[in-house]
Amino acid sequence: MNIIMCRSLTYAQRASSALERAGITATISRAPQELTNRGCGYCVKVSPRRFREALDILARAGIPHGRLFRAEPGGGYTEVAG
Amino acid sequence: MIYLDNAATSLLKPPEVAKAMTTAMRTMASPGRGGHEPAAKAADTAFRCREELSEFFRAPGPEHVAFTMNATHAVNIAIATLVKPGDRVVISGYEHNAVTRPLHMLGAETDAAVSPLFEPEAAIEAFRKRLPGAKCCVCTHVSNVFGFILPVEEIAAMCREYGVSFVLDASQSAGVLNVDMEALGAEFVAMPGHKGLLGPQGTGVLLCRDRARPIMAGGTGSESRNQAMPETLPDALEAGTHNIPGIAGLLAGLRYVKRRGLESIDAHERKLKGLMCRKLAGISGLEVFSSPTAQSGVLSVRSGKLGSEEIAAALGARGVAVRAGLHCAPLAHQSAGTLEGGTVRFSFSPFNNAAEIDRAAAELVRILKMSS
Repeated sequence: MNIIMCRSLTYAQRASSALERAGITATISRAPQELTNRGCGYCVKVSPRRFREALDILARAGIPHGRLFRAEPGGGYTEVAG
Repeated sequence: MIYLDNAATSLLKPPEVAKAMTTAMRTMASPGRGGHEPAAKAADTAFRCREELSEFFRAPGPEHVAFTMNATHAVNIAIATLVKPGDRVVISGYEHNAVTRPLHMLGAETDAAVSPLFEPEAAIEAFRKRLPGAKCCVCTHVSNVFGFILPVEEIAAMCREYGVSFVLDASQSAGVLNVDMEALGAEFVAMPGHKGLLGPQGTGVLLCRDRARPIMAGGTGSESRNQAMPETLPDALEAGTHNIPGIAGLLAGLRYVKRRGLESIDAHERKLKGLMCRKLAGISGLEVFSSPTAQSGVLSVRSGKLGSEEIAAALGARGVAVRAGLHCAPLAHQSAGTLEGGTVRFSFSPFNNAAEIDRAAAELVRILKMSS
């Protein structure tokens, strides 16, 4: 899964809602600890296959997001460009 | 009992409000405080409520909807954000203590645009004279004492013209009249959840534009390593555990209002107010404060023979619940010339009916006859 970090739970909910409306499954989750330098954050998880499309939808809807990551099959996360 | 104190708190709610609250108490935890199902359900309810409030009142988005304890809490945040000690703040002559006391506590210069009751044009002129150079304007949409509908669209337009931040107190209008944050260009709109929106006590809402200063700090479930409050809305304003049963009830109340429609609710309450006015017309020594156009479903009266508290107590003993005195709005009474003794206030809801008004008016007439 790819991870879209969000400013807050409400922003994650907005992002998820916009993506689900567009037919993209977007799961709200607490952000993995190693990805939150300020502690306790929220993210939205989407399929890598629809990741770019998801970012376009968020941009069009004016929903800001934080850093972007790819969950590696063997564990760990790699930051990806927006 | 006939409950006609809806301007304080609506007592009769749609049955789905209590049902939603019970469900929330049984199944929902705290939003933003865990990834488990009860937390997710709570988060979903809070978000749906934000989303629907944002759409209904045309706020910039769901994240611009902050939950508060009540409208007073919301007004306090708005004022703390916009006003510094010594700033000149223009208010209407019909403000509640929820506005005037925070301004007083802050040391602001309160400049009241006093105007006669039920004269919107005079109110506009009073604001026009005072707004230039002011820091902020806080105005109630509807007087909680007299039901006087202030010309807030025109006042907000003048604020935009003069570059004055505008705050709307929608305590008596939310759920009854159209409140359009976008059209008003308001910096903040404050409202209770427990009056016209038919939610439970302990709920309030602050619609915010871009910035808001927290007046309380604490856990938000976000940015926990940061000792400063998050700047992101709504987290910045929501320290501590949310009132999720209250928010669930508020959402159910809002949905009832949307289903029934503002026009229908407003028309119903004004009809009851008109009926009460006709029943009380011509009673010797009774002054009825009414307007056919500039008044919502809130009606004040006073008697030359009996004090307002005596009348309210007598009505209460006969099963009619009303409120007497100054209604936490001495400025409104000063503007209307009723500061000495106050008034008896009848305030109507979507669940009152004509038979109740007939009976309440008849009881008042009996009480006044007995005193003479």
